[in-house]
This record gives sequence, structure tokens and C-alpha cells, in this order.
Amino acid sequence: MTDASETAAPDTASAPEIAPQTLDRDKLFTARLHAARVRPYLATALFALHVVASRRVPTMGVDRYWRCYVSPGFVDRTPVEELAGVWVHEVSHLLRDHHGRSDRVAKERGLHGPGERLRMNIAADFEINDDVYGDGLARPAGVVEPGDLGLSENELMEEYLRQFTLGPRSQDLAWLDCGSGADGLDREWELGPDGAHGLSERERDAVRFRVAQGITGRPGHAPQGWRRWAEEAFHPPQPWRQLLGAAVRSAASAPGAGEDYTYGRPARRSIALPGTVLPSLRRRPPRVSVVIDTSGSVSDAELGSALLEVAAIARAVGGRRDLVTVVPCDASAGTARRLCRAEGIPLTGGGGTDLRAGFTRALRTRPAPDVIVALTDGQTPWPGTRPPCRTVVGLFPRHYENHAFDESDPEYVPDSPPEWARVVDIG
Amino acid sequence: MRTHTSSLPDTVTQLDVAGDLLALLRDTTTEPRPDNQLEALTLAVAADLPVLLWGEPGIGKTAALTQLASALDLPLTTVIASVHEPSDFSGLPIVGDDPAEQGVPMAPPDWAVRLVRAGRGLLFLDELSTAPPAVQAALLRLVLERRIGALRLPPGVRIVAAANPRSSAADGWELSPPLANRFVHLQWTHDTDVVVRGLGGVWPRATLPRLDPEKLPEAVDFARRAVCGLLGARPALAHRLPSGEVRRGGPWPSPRSWEMTLHLIAFATAAGSSRDVLSLLVRGTVGDGPGLELLACLDRMDLPDPETLLADPAAAVLPERGDLRQAALDGVVAAVRNRPERSRWDAAWALLVKALETGPPDVVVVPATTLAALRRDDWDVPASIERLAGVVTLSRRADRTTAAVAAAAAAKAGR
Repeated sequence: MTDASETAAPDTASAPEIAPQTLDRDKLFTARLHAARVRPYLATALFALHVVASRRVPTMGVDRYWRCYVSPGFVDRTPVEELAGVWVHEVSHLLRDHHGRSDRVAKERGLHGPGERLRMNIAADFEINDDVYGDGLARPAGVVEPGDLGLSENELMEEYLRQFTLGPRSQDLAWLDCGSGADGLDREWELGPDGAHGLSERERDAVRFRVAQGITGRPGHAPQGWRRWAEEAFHPPQPWRQLLGAAVRSAASAPGAGEDYTYGRPARRSIALPGTVLPSLRRRPPRVSVVIDTSGSVSDAELGSALLEVAAIARAVGGRRDLVTVVPCDASAGTARRLCRAEGIPLTGGGGTDLRAGFTRALRTRPAPDVIVALTDGQTPWPGTRPPCRTVVGLFPRHYENHAFDESDPEYVPDSPPEWARVVDIG
Repeated sequence: MRTHTSSLPDTVTQLDVAGDLLALLRDTTTEPRPDNQLEALTLAVAADLPVLLWGEPGIGKTAALTQLASALDLPLTTVIASVHEPSDFSGLPIVGDDPAEQGVPMAPPDWAVRLVRAGRGLLFLDELSTAPPAVQAALLRLVLERRIGALRLPPGVRIVAAANPRSSAADGWELSPPLANRFVHLQWTHDTDVVVRGLGGVWPRATLPRLDPEKLPEAVDFARRAVCGLLGARPALAHRLPSGEVRRGGPWPSPRSWEMTLHLIAFATAAGSSRDVLSLLVRGTVGDGPGLELLACLDRMDLPDPETLLADPAAAVLPERGDLRQAALDGVVAAVRNRPERSRWDAAWALLVKALETGPPDVVVVPATTLAALRRDDWDVPASIERLAGVVTLSRRADRTTAAVAAAAAAKAGR
């Protein structure tokens, strides 16, 4: 905590140049107060920003250390209600970690240079602007929206980045240079990591956490986009392939399946140690049975990718093709057959009418499976008892628009998967 | 077959030259560089808690351990788990003349005997996740019970284990929740700048935390207040099993892991470590959510005590950051509400004026409104309130803005 003896006005000495006009602080802070009133869940973050007056910043911009650089001229020409919109826009960049995500995307896709960073700034603006204004917050003049380039709303920066290039249509899009907080590229007017009043990484996390907690604690006030952000702020979703792979692999290599030590046979070391009993390493490749039960709501492509993923993992674990079997249930039998024929996966025909019958059938095969992977959309009755082997459930998201549940009983809600299964959400 | 005896000296000189070249390559220097993850590891090892390093293969975990061992002045023993058999850790059963009478003793391996004889050391169990399940089970018993065969490791031996994360482990190895709960999990990452500088001949040398003997009692007190304060307010956090696929095998809060957290806070406080280091440790012990809540609780403990502020408004030092400043002022107003007295009310106004003079005005608006509502009929408005006129104007302007935006939206909707 720094000493509070200095003046509160961001002393122009710390700014790169002496600003010729003085900053209208009252107007700027009135705008911030208004923003905090109409977006109470962002108040903590708004107040955590430290204002630095600077003549070299075109409008308003933030850096990754939560400093907000403001051009006095911009404050003078912009109405208060629009300034409030800019406040919320800038703090959104920081809360949504656009600088960190930009750096990651740049590394992953090899995007270098100021042009690419400008695209990242624009894509980040799209992510924010599609749902931040309205409901008491005025839209600043000339904000960019995905619609300006004919793109759809409610997507993330990473998705927008793939969808547009800089060209004549995007010439006038850079209305707001949001600073390094938006795209990770340091600007000349910024004070950098060693300047005063910057927030450390932990402090930034703490502010994000408090905002996210406020939103999840009182979700009624925040729009959908912010609620989604709050849920994922500290629990980033993991790709389902990894999770499903980990679940199947750990089930297949758990004690009782796969390789492990056993005292059933003497170890090779025993010869050297008379009078000593040593266990030896035995390996029995695990058998995986895939039960498929999906209604029409799961597309062939989704089902196919999940099935191939399971087959690939099972083969990697077992090392042999014949150790994976597929048991399709009625509705999905046709699709499963096509897929299995194409991939050369053995298919156990007709698993019955629903998942319970499929389980029964899978467990009746000899030798019995070590792991059952159930691929389902969850609109099915589950087995009442725990099967005598490990179970992994790949759960497809339900698409309510073509719901397959009972028309005569609108109250019917499908059961959630049982406790004894490891559940991975697919898609 | 003809032999060239004359070529022999030639090879020797070649080898000598190669030796010289190798010596040149190994001639590197070090530079001091703060390293949060190494500092966190040092504190956890000093606190004698079992540590599990999660990191991709080949990012310098062993190098870090070597540095740590030299800093703590402990001999380092590295055991690569994946090349051993379970009997190496649970002990080799030695069948004697009369097992029914004497039992079967479990003989420990030589490195364990050496460790016990030395009485101190750093034991590094590498590649835990690539060992077969039975080896892992034997190893975890060694880590958690400190027993190996019939031997018990002396308290001077510290144990660190390393594992590859699930995404890069070939067999999807993961810890069961009861085991995960016993470890301090540290995510080990490499910093590209450090690697590039190191290959250029300058490796980093971390200055490791030193415990300050003066600070021990206050450190214990601070740690206890923090953990008890949080769990008193949020009893649900005391024990929460991990749910969902994503969080499997990671840290989660339980009475045991909270006790570990308490130890770590005390160690970090006594060593004067930064909050960033503490954050790594706490989040690696009770998980991200509870860890962040605890850190938020520590931030609140850092705020000035409202009663101290009210006692002497003139000398009060308010936090610089807007959000913390507002939290401190809210605390002051809440203190006045709890014990409304004329003098305290006046002191609170003096504090608000001070806040206005030393920082952004919008932060003061909400506390000022709340404080004004606490006024009793027989209390006169203090003279200092004149100085808050600016705040009132600010608030009114914001009200007008709100009205203007609403009117504009209504007009737009009406069109």
C-alpha cells in the first residue's frame, strides 16, 4: 500500500508530457459514478482503475496494470453519458483479460506486428460491445460492433479474430485505441510495470475474483455475457477431448485393469535373491465397451468425433483393435453402424431399446469389459445399480429446440447421470 | 589387421580438446532474479509439507531442486519412480529361518538407509505419474507416512514429488481426492526469458526467503486470525469435496488442507514473502476458489481498522486504490452505524473530507449518502460538510445523466 501523501490528481509529472489542458476530473468521475450506478457489479473494478492524464493517448486506454490513461481533450468533447460507456468498455477489457488472451493467441497462431494487434483490439471490442450498452448505459458515438463487418454477435475475441481481415471496410474501426490492456502491445505513453499505482498479478486476480463473486452471488442484475464470464473467470473450461481421454485412460489403467504388479508369479529378480518373494509386473490389455444411446438431437458429426476419440484412446491403452467393442442402442444403431464400418471397429449388434439394455448387453459379453464408455444425450433411463466395472459417461448437450422427451408429459425431466459414473460434457 | 599405434596420442589430444570445449560451455555465471515459484517451493519445504510439482517433462524441475537443496544446505537424493518396483519402496520381504516366529522383515533400499544415517536431506521423487499404480501406492505411503520398509525417515528429511499434468501424461494418471488433499500442489512453469538468458550463459539465482526469528509469534497470530476469520464467516468452505471432471486430482478445502494453509501463511509472513508467493501456496493447497477468498480476506485485514481511523481522522492514512478506499470508508460508516454517537459521526465526516481531498471524488459518494442518513435530529450538520459540496454536485450530475440516458432510451423506443 503506497503512502497517500501525494495529491490525488494524477500528477502530470508522471505523465509523459505536460498536458496543456487540464483534465476535467469532475466530469470524468461523474461518468465513473454513473457507470458504477448502472452497472453495480462492476463498481469494484471501476474504482480500482488509477487515472493518468496524458495528451498522447488518443482517447482513453488502459494498460495491463489497471492504469487508465485519459486524454483531457477527449473528456472535454465527449458527453458524460458516453464517457460512462467508455469507462465500462475499458474495464471490460481488463476483466476479460484481453491482453493475456491476445498474447496467447499471438503465440498460438503466430500473429505478429502492429496490424495483427490492431485486429485483436477490434476483435476484443466486438466481444465487449455486442451486449455492454443499453439498460442505462449510453452507447458512445462510433463504437464498433460485429454487425459492422457482417459478423454475428455473442462470440469471443478468438472466434472473431478468424473472421475478418483489415481492409477498406475496417478502415474507420479503430475508433478507440484501448491501449495494451486490450491487445497486449505496449504503447509509448504507458508507464510500464515499474510505474506507480500498478496492480500486481495477484491484485488483478483479486479484483476479478471479487467482481465475479458479486455477479455469481446476485446473478439477477448481470446480463448473460457477464454471468458466463463470471462462471469461467477462474474455472476455464477444458476441452472435452482431454477430459474424456483422461477419464477413459485412468479407468482403463486403474488397478484391476491394465498392467500392475502381482504376487501370482515370481519376479525375474527373485533368482538373484534367494529367500525373497518379489511380485512381478503383469500386463493384461483392458477391454473397452462403448454403449451409444442418442436420440435425434445429436448430429452424426458430434457422435462420430466422440466415438472415434474413444476408439483411439482405447487402442492407445490396449494396443489392439479387437479390444474395443461398440453396442448401439436402437435410435443410434444406423449411425453407429456406418461409423464402425468405416473405422473397422467391431460392433455388437442390437443393444436393445435404451441405455439400460445396452449396459446389460455390454456386461454380458465375454470376456467382460474393464471399462464401459456410454455416449448419450442423457434423455434416457440409467441403470439402477452400479455395473461391476468402471463407467465413463460422455454427455452430449441437449438441444431443447428439437426436444425428444415425452410430449404427453411436459413435466418430464430426464434423470441426471448417476453418482458412480465419471461424467464428461461433450461439445 | 594393422594397428596404428601412432594414432593413439592423436585421439588423446582430440579428447583433451573436447574436454576444453566442454569446460568452456559449462562456464556460466548466475544473476539474482526473483522467482516466485521457487520461493513458494522453499517455503513449503521449510514448513515440512509434502509438495507435488506439476510440470511438463524437461522444464528444469530437477535444476530447481538442486538449487533449493544447496540453499537449504541439504544433500539431494533423486529417485526416479518409474524405473523402480514397489518392493523398492515398501521394502523387500526377507524370509528368515522361521517366518511364523519372527515375522518377515521388510528391508529398505540403500539410499533410504543412507538418508536415515545422515539424519537430514532432500528426497526428490521424480516422474511419480509415469510409475505403475503399485509403485505409486508404495511411494505415496513414503511421502505421507515417511516410512520406507521398516525404517522411518527422520524429521530432518524433506520430501518433494513431481508429476506430469494429466494432459501430457500418457496414461491419464491422476490422484484420488483423499491423496490430492494431503499435498501442496505447485504448477511448475518455465519462463522463456530465463531459458534464453541461461542458454546465453547467465542462469538466474533466486534469493530464497529467510525466516525472521523476531516475527514468529506475530506470524502465527496473523495466520490464525486469517483462516479462522474466513471459516467463521464462511463455514461451508471448511470442507468441500471436489466436483466435476475438471477439478479432479487438484487441491480442495478440508480441515487438513486448511491447517496446512495456516502453516504456510505463518511461514510466508515470517519470511516476509510477497502476496504473489502466498497466492501460489494457498491456491495450491485449498484450490482456486477458497484460496482466492482467503486472499480477499487477507486484503480486508490489510485495510485500516475503522475504529483507529475514527479515533484520529487528522492522522488517518487511507488506501490509495479506489476500491480499497471505498471499502475502508464503508467500514467506517458501518462502525458509526453500530455505535452512533455525535463525536463519531463528526469524525466520520472529517474522514470523508480527507478522502475527498486526497483522491477521486466519486468514491466518497456512497459512504457520504449513507452517513448523512444516520443523522439524528439533535445533531447539527458539521461545518466540514461544506467541503463535500463537490460530491453532492457530482452525485446530482450523475443522477441527471441517468435521467438523460433513460429519457433518450424511452424516446428511441417510442419512435
